[in-house]
This record gives sequence, structure tokens and C-alpha cells, in this order.
Amino acid sequence: MASAAAKSPTRLEVLSLFRSLLRTAHEFSDYNVREYTKRRTIDGFQSNRSLSDQQSISAAYANGKEQLAIVKRQAVIYSLYAPKVKSIMELKSV
Amino acid sequence: MAARSVLLKHLRVNAKPLPHNINLNSSFGLSFNVVRRLFSEEVRGSFLDKSEVTDRVVAVVKNFQKIDPSKVTPNAHFGNGLGLDSLDTVEIVMALEEEFGFEIPDNEADKINTIGLAVEFIASHPQAK
Repeated sequence: MASAAAKSPTRLEVLSLFRSLLRTAHEFSDYNVREYTKRRTIDGFQSNRSLSDQQSISAAYANGKEQLAIVKRQAVIYSLYAPKVKSIMELKSV
Repeated sequence: MAARSVLLKHLRVNAKPLPHNINLNSSFGLSFNVVRRLFSEEVRGSFLDKSEVTDRVVAVVKNFQKIDPSKVTPNAHFGNGLGLDSLDTVEIVMALEEEFGFEIPDNEADKINTIGLAVEFIASHPQAK
């Protein structure tokens, strides 16, 4: 992969990608998709936190960037077909 | 010089000093004061009370899975006191954004690493609710 050869991202860039993913995840109107995206983001970053060699860090970062583009696109598409009723998990008091 | 003084004389306007008993204070002054008071109250009202912010921030942090709730105090440090890494800190700041309903810009969010700093930033932000 061409982008894997690029210089590895800084700590702030990684945190910024993490924040962007979480922020975009929050835009999903469907509770299940929203929670899954958040969970998947957190799990992905936690599982890669111990990466040390430059090439795999760059590859993981490039992959994260691609995922962010997908999440952004899907958030728009899902908003066109937003569920009409809320999930029971979203009700504060029942 | 002569031309100037002639010109000035020509331009002179009859100016009467304002009568002292004019009703400035009772009508205009009062309404101005009322407007000013309303405005300042509106501004003050949009900032949250610091103790309320502290309570809500502590509640959000206590809700975080990896944290031992008994360790959370209003001046705890995310990294040293609570044993969180930078990813967890980002998560907490995001949770605070959700709780207070406004967006914390990246460069500010990067600086927040204690509960005290979070409280200070939120209490000084007019959009926090």
C-alpha cells in the first residue's frame, strides 16, 4: 500500500482521528449503529495502542482515515432512513 | 490666519447650555439602566454555576467504565490519579460534550487532563447547558 510508506502520524493526529470518528459516530440516528460505531472505534484504537513499528502505525492510521470517510458517508445515508421510533435503550425512564 | 478667523466666526453656532432641571435621569436614564440590567442578567444566566458544573463533571467521570468511582474527586488528574491513557481522556471529553451539549474544539480538548481544568473550561463557556 502506497500510503503505508508515508511518515507515521503524530500523537495529536492519532487522537484527532479518534475524536473525529467518535464525533461522527455520534451523528447516527439509529441507536444500534451509533453504539456499534463508537464501540468499534474504541476497540480498534485500544487494540492498536501498543503498535511500535512505524510501518504498521502508518498502515493503521491510513486504515482509520478510510474508515472515517466511510462512517461520514454512512451517517448521511442512514439519516435518510432514520428509524421512526427510538430504541428502548434511549428512553431515560420507563 | 485672518481668513480662518472669519470662517470660524461665520461657522459659530449659538449654543445654549442645557437647563439643569431637564428630566434626563427619570426618563432616558432609567430605561437605559433597565436595558443594561436585562442584558447583563442574560449574559450571566448563560454561564453555568461552577459548583453545578463540578457535580455534573464528577458524575460523568464516575460513570466511565474504567474508573473506580471512589477515586473521583473534584481535583483528580485523569492520567496520574485515575490511571487513564490519552484515548480514555478523549472519550471522557466527548462524554462531557454530550452532557453539556456543546462542542469543545480539538486544541482545547487536548489541554484538558484534570477534572479541575474541565470544570473551568465548561464554566467559562457561554454555550454550555
